[in-house]
Amino acid sequence: MEILSKILIYLIFIFAAPLFIGIVNKLKARLTGRIGPSIFQSYYDLRRLMRKETIYATSASFISRVSPVVSFASILFAGMILPIGFTRPLISFNGDLILFAYLLGLSRFFQILGAMDIGSSFEGMGAAREATFAVFAEPIYFFTLGSLAFIFGQTSMYEIFHSITLNDPSFLVFIAVASISVFFLMITETSRMPVDDPNTHLELTMIHEVMILDNSGQDLFLYQYSAYLKILIYATFTSNFFNPFNAQNYALGFFVYLAVMMALIACLVWVETMLGRFKMKSIPQYLLFAASIGILNLLIYSFFKR
Amino acid sequence: MGNVLNILFCLSLLYLATTTRVTAYLKVFVLQSILLFFIVMLPLLNHISVFTLLLPLTILVVKAILIPWYIRKKIIYELEINTTIESNIQQFNFLLLSVFSMVAVFVFCNIITKDAAVAPIPFSAAFSSVVIGLYVIIFRKKLIVHVIGFLVMENGIFLLGIAVASEMPFLIELGMLLDIFVVVFLMGIAINRISSTFAADEVSALDKLKN
Repeated sequence: MEILSKILIYLIFIFAAPLFIGIVNKLKARLTGRIGPSIFQSYYDLRRLMRKETIYATSASFISRVSPVVSFASILFAGMILPIGFTRPLISFNGDLILFAYLLGLSRFFQILGAMDIGSSFEGMGAAREATFAVFAEPIYFFTLGSLAFIFGQTSMYEIFHSITLNDPSFLVFIAVASISVFFLMITETSRMPVDDPNTHLELTMIHEVMILDNSGQDLFLYQYSAYLKILIYATFTSNFFNPFNAQNYALGFFVYLAVMMALIACLVWVETMLGRFKMKSIPQYLLFAASIGILNLLIYSFFKR
Repeated sequence: MGNVLNILFCLSLLYLATTTRVTAYLKVFVLQSILLFFIVMLPLLNHISVFTLLLPLTILVVKAILIPWYIRKKIIYELEINTTIESNIQQFNFLLLSVFSMVAVFVFCNIITKDAAVAPIPFSAAFSSVVIGLYVIIFRKKLIVHVIGFLVMENGIFLLGIAVASEMPFLIELGMLLDIFVVVFLMGIAINRISSTFAADEVSALDKLKN
């Protein structure tokens, strides 16, 4: 019975992924004085893509056919490891935080490979950018979650997030700082505003969009859906830091999760509206800053554990 | 709670290593001064008197209001200084260097404070503040940024005093504060004078000065 409810929650999670981005886009439009598209616009987009024919470049090998599927599947698996709100995830074992990172890495790897496979120099450029920024983004994850794992002595994501208590004030700051660091990570990994603008299609500044430029139809559907899922996964990941009640009550846990998510959406919208995008050369610096927050946390709590 | 303030202090240092705007530097300095005020106030909360309030209030007035006001008004606006900071090394390397130095400082402080009766987190925060203040003076080109780097260093020394001695000899601290103010004042006058005869606000241009 429990497994059924887990699967149900996971299915709802997957289905709600486009809605999240829809709400963000709508609020963003409202904040800048426009009406904006409907919050269900991403569903319409996905439906449109689903109906279209997939066309492959003549220079493309089997990699191009495989990579959207692999990318999507690895994101789905990563979602299974992530504790959603208070529930125990579908897959949970010691050390799954490393599997989580590498499943997301695998997804990105296949996206990069798929972009390079087509042979357009333009997509190669995007792939190079994505790979470069991924190098700087990886330490953020490992320093933040690694320091948490180190403090709690747990290596499973579920156990780590359920060891968090918000009683000690200095601990609270540590959690807040770690969540800021993960928020930076989220913006980078999902190519949102200060790092990459998902709306512009200006050749010189695209990072993520340029990689899927030659994909069409169902391939593009898979890529888009995995992008939507990825942002929801990272948002849940960030919001998990503030799951204060350790609730065993489903309804209460659900409402806490929703409230935290709403706060996170507000933060995301605010950041995206207020900040312009960074210069390409200052992005590594921005990422290093986020990583160094993680390092600082790790230092403080490993050397001076009371 | 004291640790929280110290962690925020460390974060402000990291921000100092990221940004390239003179005004942002000034804002970080104000933030640090306010944090220092709270750090000093926190242990005094139980026995507030006029005498114990003297030092924190002086810090607040001099460091968070007077010096920033002077730098902003008299130097940045009146001299119309270009607010982008030029650096001797690349910005990314500067951040990298700062992070590595901070790691080194933390490890080092962890070793040396093991047996001593010293609060480790303020000690490391203070030490890294001194180091990063030094880096700012070494690697940045603008004169006014050197002044701010010096002030950040001074903040670090002040925090060091708090970390090492629970009972502060605060006549000394008061004297130091006065010194700092005078130094900033003189520096401002000097920059004013230099710029009225010679249009440069960078250290690299100063070696061209002749009689």
